[in-house]
Amino acid sequence: MAAGPYNYSYIFKYIIIGDMGVGKSCLLHQFTEKKFMADCPHTIGVEFGTRIIEVSGQKIKLQIWDTAGQERFRAVTRSYYRGAAGALMVYDITRRSTYNHLSSWLTDARNLTNPNTVIFLIGNKSDLEAQRDVTYEEAKQFADENECSAKTGDNVEDAFLDTAKKIYQNIQDGSLDLNAAESGVQHKPATPRNPLNTDQTPSKEGCAC
Amino acid sequence: MAAFRARLKEYEDILNEDVIDMKRFRKLCFNGCPFESGYRSICWKKQRELYRHFVEDLIVKPGTDAAEGAQVDDHIDKDCRRLCPDLFFFQRATDYPCKELINADSRVETLRKRVEQCLITSRRRASEEYMVLKDGQEAHWEVVERILFIYAKLNPGQEYAEADSFFCFTNLMGEIRDIFIKTLDLDSHCGSLMAKLMSMLKEKDEALWHRIEELGLKPQYFAFRWITLLLSQEFPLPDVLRIWDSLFAYEDRFHFLICICCAMLMLLRMEIIQGDFPTSMKLLQNFNNTKLDLQTVLSKAVEF
Repeated sequence: MAAGPYNYSYIFKYIIIGDMGVGKSCLLHQFTEKKFMADCPHTIGVEFGTRIIEVSGQKIKLQIWDTAGQERFRAVTRSYYRGAAGALMVYDITRRSTYNHLSSWLTDARNLTNPNTVIFLIGNKSDLEAQRDVTYEEAKQFADENECSAKTGDNVEDAFLDTAKKIYQNIQDGSLDLNAAESGVQHKPATPRNPLNTDQTPSKEGCAC
Repeated sequence: MAAFRARLKEYEDILNEDVIDMKRFRKLCFNGCPFESGYRSICWKKQRELYRHFVEDLIVKPGTDAAEGAQVDDHIDKDCRRLCPDLFFFQRATDYPCKELINADSRVETLRKRVEQCLITSRRRASEEYMVLKDGQEAHWEVVERILFIYAKLNPGQEYAEADSFFCFTNLMGEIRDIFIKTLDLDSHCGSLMAKLMSMLKEKDEALWHRIEELGLKPQYFAFRWITLLLSQEFPLPDVLRIWDSLFAYEDRFHFLICICCAMLMLLRMEIIQGDFPTSMKLLQNFNNTKLDLQTVLSKAVEF
């Protein structure tokens, strides 16, 4: 995919979590391919995607892990939380049950990531206003959130970008220690590199993704 | 063509015997069942009568435990509706709807309707997203749903049987059921198969194994799906059927499954050795895009 020596200063690791069928894979696809995937198969285990974005003039490569939402895969998906700099927690605004389950997803995210992990709430399927089951105001009380639509692409960019801005801000003000194990962030000097070795991940345990 | 005719003849001979020589039959199936003359369906067919009884007992005349099963039913229903959405087949009406259900009097509801009625609350029924069929017809996905539903009823300890699979064959399920018990996902069956895959790779191609370790491409990231779904998402459907011919016929099917997975890795050797983490990860997670010829993969796997 990444042909040629892309310059970027940081790699941020993200995970996407939430109930089955809320549109996690569609969000990832919309963000990385700028397309809506209508016929999306179930995610088994995890799917992986990348995109380079820009925050405050810095190029940042997002490495995104999209996890399976099915309860029965939780034992497996939990192993992907480690070392995430950002967690996008997704529910479906037309299905209240997916909103009600957020607290259990949040518990998982809090327990399995580090204290600096930026957790961001996303209400997906905002294009289905007529079927809305959770009001924006209600969700807003639970947490700062961003409503978007993986179908139309509305606000999808912002969800990923706002999370990156917050992480970048944490780096700038020193609250995120890049040297800490499993910070989910890798710093890269922005110099031209040997194309064969672009973004080679160090084999250091915990930063391998 | 002559060789193919000879193979068909061989199937015919074996199947016409009063007592089928299972050993010879398995060997023949391992090399792929011919679609012609319906041999594949004969080869895969199991105990139809028994199945009919299950349909009768569990769906036509259900017991009183409807509520407790509602969640499992809903889960199966959700999965089946999303079964291979890119194949029109599953959305199309079947030519062979279940007569017991379709012709039964109107008191018997289809599973589709039953699940819908159980879960009206807070659940948008997206009939606009699915093709609605006339009463008296049922789509292929409903047939799959029925198989899984019966499986779930007969195996209550098993929370759920995976959707996009035809794993309904009880003998196969007997062997792979451990894969689908979530608490066992990591340490038990699937975990040990992934470990087996990596040790086989280490033995066959140590340099590649080393590279995979170095990049941090853990088998959970890609082989988890390969193994749990028996490669059904890594190849186009005709190729999947061909792989399953071999898996069903081979006595130690998981050994052969691991051989195939190992062959898949080795055929992507150059890409993985030259690629970085993201590129290799995407490559392995989207094996379907590599367009590697199945025959090449199988020939390599047989060598192991």
